[in-house]
Amino acid sequence: MIPLHDIWVVLPAYNEETVICKVIETIQTCGFRRIIVIDDGSEDQTASKAESCGAMVVQHLVNRGAGASTQTGIELARMKGCQYLAFMDADGQHDPADLLKLWEKMEATQCDIVIGSRFLQTSGKIPVTRIIFNGIANTLTNVFCKGRYTDTQSGLRLLNRKAIEKLELEIDGFGYCSEMLIVAEQEQLKIEEAASTVRYSAYSISKGQDFQIGITTALNFIWNTIFK
Amino acid sequence: MEIRIFQILVPLFALVFIISQITRHLKSKATNVETIVSIGFWLSVGIFAIFPDAISNSIAAAFGIKSNINAVLFLSIGIIFFVQFKMYSLIKKQENAITVLTRKIALKEQEKQQQ
Repeated sequence: MIPLHDIWVVLPAYNEETVICKVIETIQTCGFRRIIVIDDGSEDQTASKAESCGAMVVQHLVNRGAGASTQTGIELARMKGCQYLAFMDADGQHDPADLLKLWEKMEATQCDIVIGSRFLQTSGKIPVTRIIFNGIANTLTNVFCKGRYTDTQSGLRLLNRKAIEKLELEIDGFGYCSEMLIVAEQEQLKIEEAASTVRYSAYSISKGQDFQIGITTALNFIWNTIFK
Repeated sequence: MEIRIFQILVPLFALVFIISQITRHLKSKATNVETIVSIGFWLSVGIFAIFPDAISNSIAAAFGIKSNINAVLFLSIGIIFFVQFKMYSLIKKQENAITVLTRKIALKEQEKQQQ
């Protein structure tokens, strides 16, 4: 049986006041009670709204990026002694019910990290631009990885205690998704993927990476990987 | 006029960046100044790629540059790249320090709230 009480769900969030409460409520509906919002220097009411919805809030004073927020979540989990740490995007594109699938995969394969992959099942419409961006990012990431991953950019992830202890991420921006896989392999952590669904909306698409951010992310990732 | 491959690829590349910049501007992700500077830069790159000889000859004529100056130009470019590399490394270090500081403050504040 899934230990809902032992799974902490982290939402890295930046200016998400319009959706944050709904996302938190959906997670609570699935039975998760320990929800942490890492407010990455939002200029709106993301932090206060998240708090009013029952989430624990950790606030960055200035905006540092999704990767910086993720590492803050990992360090908090280390401090609190969490057994499992789940990451979801705060824009509402992930279904928290998929976390159960990720946990089942972790239990079945005894792995340390499970990535929720949008490309292991064909249901759910993924915009063409996302398919192209992700294809390029997967190819680039897999060059530096031993394993072959179908969705290296997914924000839906589950980590066990061993992964929480071992992961140290240095990339502040979106490049952290790829960096986490590389660091995990270097630390001899076992990585698996489980099928997940996504619900793209105009809002979630507007919050994602565009062409120029994608290029910056790729350059940052290559820079950090080569000159680390 | 003989058309070389870069005379097609570079203007196309510049066009992609110009369209991307206009899209960003329309989505309010870029200021007027950023958009004008960026479009001006990519437009210059595109035009230079289409007429490289005519433009470089005009510049050489205007500044009195002769072919034996090439070595100096290459050296200058090398130095500029090196300085750029050093500056980028320095910025990265500074950014990393800011992130570490931001994180420490955030976690300390959270601990305080829990007590």
